[in-house]
Formats: sequence, structure tokens, C-alpha cells
Amino acid sequence: MTGKNETERAALDRLADALVEDILNVSDEDILAEFAEQGGDARQHAEKMRSLFEATMLVTNKRRMAAAKAGVAATRRTSHQPPPPTVDIAEARARLRTLVERSSAPSNLTLAARKEEELSNADILGMLEDLAELGIVAPKNGDGEES
Amino acid sequence: MNLHQSTATRSRDEIIEAIRALSNADWVRLRQVANLYGRPSITADDLLQEAFARAMDGRHCPVHVDVVRFLAEAMRSIAHGEQEKVANRMVFPSAESGDRQKAVLRQPDPAGSAEDRALNAEHTQRIRTQLFSLFDDDPTARDILECLMEGLTAEEIRELTDLDKTAYASKRKLIRRRIDKQYPEGWKP
Repeated sequence: MTGKNETERAALDRLADALVEDILNVSDEDILAEFAEQGGDARQHAEKMRSLFEATMLVTNKRRMAAAKAGVAATRRTSHQPPPPTVDIAEARARLRTLVERSSAPSNLTLAARKEEELSNADILGMLEDLAELGIVAPKNGDGEES
Repeated sequence: MNLHQSTATRSRDEIIEAIRALSNADWVRLRQVANLYGRPSITADDLLQEAFARAMDGRHCPVHVDVVRFLAEAMRSIAHGEQEKVANRMVFPSAESGDRQKAVLRQPDPAGSAEDRALNAEHTQRIRTQLFSLFDDDPTARDILECLMEGLTAEEIRELTDLDKTAYASKRKLIRRRIDKQYPEGWKP
């Protein structure tokens, strides 16, 4: 937009603001009298405006309903996801020890696993996952059973 | 106004109730406000509907603010936003032809936005000229009109035009009524 037009637009906006301020401050009697002078029927006009409002309300209600439905559907999708499997960490450590004793696992893993008591729970689970990926140990399902 | 009043807002139901309870005079006011803020990019009816929707969709309407004023302010803000959109519009023409139906050129279309801007500029210029011509017979009213467009305060205008409060109020009323009479459906050339 050119600078000149921007200035002119702003000028019209300022005039509109001033006139709106006048409209908001004029008395009910005056505004109704002026409306009637121009051939307007205030009651009929109010009915039209109320209809416009009610129609808008129906649309916004539909929008709200659609948004609420989408929200419920999203919550359902989240709540239907299976819970993460519970892990017995003592059993996991025992499994790793057994595996190391069998010595069928790669040497780098078994070397690390020999210091099992120094490993964190997360390390233990990570190693079992690695071994399951290598096919050396069967993965466990959500019920804690080997699948 | 105490602190509670300044922060408390109307609930959706309270806003609906307040709008339903508007008087005939309030509805006339809202129509006139919509006419003043309506522009080629957004009609007065669209402004009203959008303002109702915003009010109901949780725009915070403080309990101490008159609902008509709140809706008027909403219309002002919507109209301003629409004008900004036109001013800054970036058009992305679709390249829907042949096998490239889904392709879209991610390039702005300066010709399209320039056309919109030119139309807007023409409308603004025409309305401004028409507004001044409404007061060809009244140089004081023309001066006030110009001052209002410049954003001067009532005090500043009274000082410049040498009008007392009553005479100034009377001129403002004349200006408002003449413009309203000329543009019963908004500022359309």
C-alpha cells in the first residue's frame, strides 16, 4: 500500500472512531428519533438484528460442538494406547547374568554385563533390548512373558 | 471501579443474555457502528456476525464494560485486521493445469495484491472526497471533519475553530447525522 493511501485510510479510520464514540454517547431518544426520521422502524430493525445474532450463535454452537467432538476423539485415541509393560528389574538382572554365563552374547556386551551390579537399571534394560534385537534373547511382551 | 470489577469478565451465557436484552436503540447503535467500520474487504453484516462470534467464543468482556461498546470495539479490531490483511496480502496462485493439478507455486502474486490495494486506495480516496463534499455549505464542519481525520482532540478542535462546547457538540451532531443519512448502508461510494 502506498504511503499516501495508508495515510488516507488511517484518516478515515480516525473519523470512524470519532463518529462511533458519538453514536455510543447519544441518548436512546435521539438515536431512535433520528432512525425514525430516516424512515427506519426500530422494532423491525431490532428483530432483524436479533435474528442475525441467533443465526451466528447457531454457527458458533456447531463450531464448539465439532471442536468438543474432536477433543474427545483425541483423548480416546490417547487413552486406548496400551500401557507400557511393567518390568521386574531384579528378574531382568538375573536374565542378563544367566546370559553372560551362557556366553552366547557378543563379547563387548558380555564384557560390559559382567559388571552387572555396577550398571544402572536403564543400562540393564537397554542391553536386554539390544540382545533381543540381535536375536540372542527373546523379547518380553507386556505381561512379562517371553514372546 | 474496584479491583474485582476491573478483572471480572462475563461468561458466555452472560454475554448471550446481555446481547439478547439489548434495546431497540442499542441495535440501531450497533448497526451504525458496523456501517462505519464496514469496508470493501468486510461488510457491515460480516463485521456484526464476527463480533458476535468473538464475544461468544471467549473474548474477555469485562463485566463493567457495556456490551454495545465491547461489540463496537470488536468490530473496530476486526475491520482493522481485515484492512491489514489486504494491505499485506500475499497471493499464491495455484498451478492447476494438466498433470500438475496439485502443484502450487510458492511465489507471491504481486499483480493480485496490487489490484486489491489499488481498489482499496480508490475506495478510500472516493469516500474521502465525498465526505468533504457533504459539507461544501459549511466550512466549519469541513474544518472539524479534517481535524477529526487528523486525530485531534475535541479541545484542540474547539480551540482551532473557536467554538464553545455547545456549538461544537451541535456541529459534531450535524456531521454524524449527515454522514449517516448519506451512507445508510455504510461507506459505499
